[in-house]
Amino acid sequence: MTVEAHTKTEKFIVPIGPQHPALKEPGHFEFSVEGEIVTGASIRLGFVHRGIEKGTEVRNWTQNIYILERVCGICSHVHATAYVLGVEQLAGVTAPPRAQAIRTIVGELERIHSHMLWLGVAAHEGGFDTLFMYSWRDRETVMDMLEAISGNRVHYSVNLLGGVKYDIDQKLTDQFLKGLEFLEERLTHYMKVVTTDETFVGRTKDIGKMPKDEAYMLGSIGPTGRASGVERDIRVDSPYAAYGEFPIKMVTDQAGDLQARFIVRIKELYESIREIREILGHMPESELTVKVPRRIPAGEAFSRVEAPRGELVYFLKSNGTDTPERIKIRTPSLCNWSSIINYAVGHKLADMPMLLAGIDPCFSCNDRSVTITKGGVHQTNWTWEQLRQYGIEYYR
Amino acid sequence: MEMEKIIDRVDDLLKPVCSQVTQVASFRIDAEVTVETLLDAVKILTDARWGYLTAITGLDKPAPAPAEGEQPGENHMEVLYHFCEGPVVATLRVTIPYSHAVIPSICGIVPMATLYERELIEMFGITVEGTPNTDKLLLPDDWPVGVFPMRKEFTGFAIKPVEGEGE
Repeated sequence: MTVEAHTKTEKFIVPIGPQHPALKEPGHFEFSVEGEIVTGASIRLGFVHRGIEKGTEVRNWTQNIYILERVCGICSHVHATAYVLGVEQLAGVTAPPRAQAIRTIVGELERIHSHMLWLGVAAHEGGFDTLFMYSWRDRETVMDMLEAISGNRVHYSVNLLGGVKYDIDQKLTDQFLKGLEFLEERLTHYMKVVTTDETFVGRTKDIGKMPKDEAYMLGSIGPTGRASGVERDIRVDSPYAAYGEFPIKMVTDQAGDLQARFIVRIKELYESIREIREILGHMPESELTVKVPRRIPAGEAFSRVEAPRGELVYFLKSNGTDTPERIKIRTPSLCNWSSIINYAVGHKLADMPMLLAGIDPCFSCNDRSVTITKGGVHQTNWTWEQLRQYGIEYYR
Repeated sequence: MEMEKIIDRVDDLLKPVCSQVTQVASFRIDAEVTVETLLDAVKILTDARWGYLTAITGLDKPAPAPAEGEQPGENHMEVLYHFCEGPVVATLRVTIPYSHAVIPSICGIVPMATLYERELIEMFGITVEGTPNTDKLLLPDDWPVGVFPMRKEFTGFAIKPVEGEGE
């Protein structure tokens, strides 16, 4: 088994990227082809390498929450969660149960938004723009929930060392339950499309097949691995936050093709919705934070959480001061690249965009503009400058 | 308990090849290996299908500043191979000196390690013998040769003064 097929001079090589039309984040791929069929693939990353691991070594433990949330614009909460759980391990404290429950709820909301975003992008790659529009429209429901709890759509910034910043009251609970009901109904529709629509099935069934053994060898994780029957889910294997008290069911599929990756992710959404309802129904009563010292005792910690794309790993080393000695991050996309390099071989070049999207590599969220109507001011289109001035006036 | 069973098993597997195996937390076990025994240890874990390679971490351990009149000690680096099975994390730790920063590639046993090894090469300047691809993965093409950003001695490039600014 080769993870990286070496490009030979006599082969015809199709370079794709760095500005890949299918991926909104830059990556460079070289596919060697014989006619239409891909015979080898290699990858070059780092076009958005920002040196965050190095950056954490000159910031203190609290400042690092904010820089680490910015590793990813989609799963910002899960990065902060992995980090704060690691720091709490080092400091020997445990966040109160209510804080753990809130971390879990936000984590699952984030998974819903991430999977729905992916569903739209993947549908778009398959030339199915109607599904893309629908899933992104419906995704706004969960974005509104995230905004309602934290005031932010992207960097919710819910976590603190030793707890969380925001509480969930009855009003929010009602809004969440209503939103979840709507989402559940829509998911049923998506599931029907993904499994029965002829064009869609034609582009996904038996494409990019990865048998269980191969997925296991390549270290595939998250929905990509679970769609090949690899039973790895950190929420089940090593429960963190509130997953011990509110267990989650692992979703797997044996088919291992692109369609299975759709099915697994949609089924996971059902499971996320069930989990959020369960926690909201049995919300533990406690404080939201415990005190964490500014200087963290020397030692090493290892923290694993299940991000929307799979296992996210943080290794933390403290030297007893207020800044970390080393923070190592291993994101799930890095693991799954090796799967794609492998299963691309033998497929048509035209299948590459969908296969690349199939592992759900991390994309960035887009900007949006808001229309606010307040105090008789009614205007539908705002320029950036107007919006900025309005913001300054509003908070004065 | 299940966790203890998994820990006992990895302890039994690693004891024959590792000089020291210590349980550092309820779910973590650390094993000291040498450059010579690293591959044996990795092979034992893979053959027994104990877990999977989760990450490779590089650690820079420069010698502390010498006291007056003393010779500075030798700088070292440590490479950690984290394997996970269920809730348990087993870490193989190899320490290598700056003067001979060479480790063997584990890609022959764990093919997916290639991306992790490429990261080690460019971030820490460790030579990974026998790794299938040594091309740049993360750093820019024009990154200066011999500058390894994750070493402690690297604190950024001096900012070039912009013409017409300052005194």
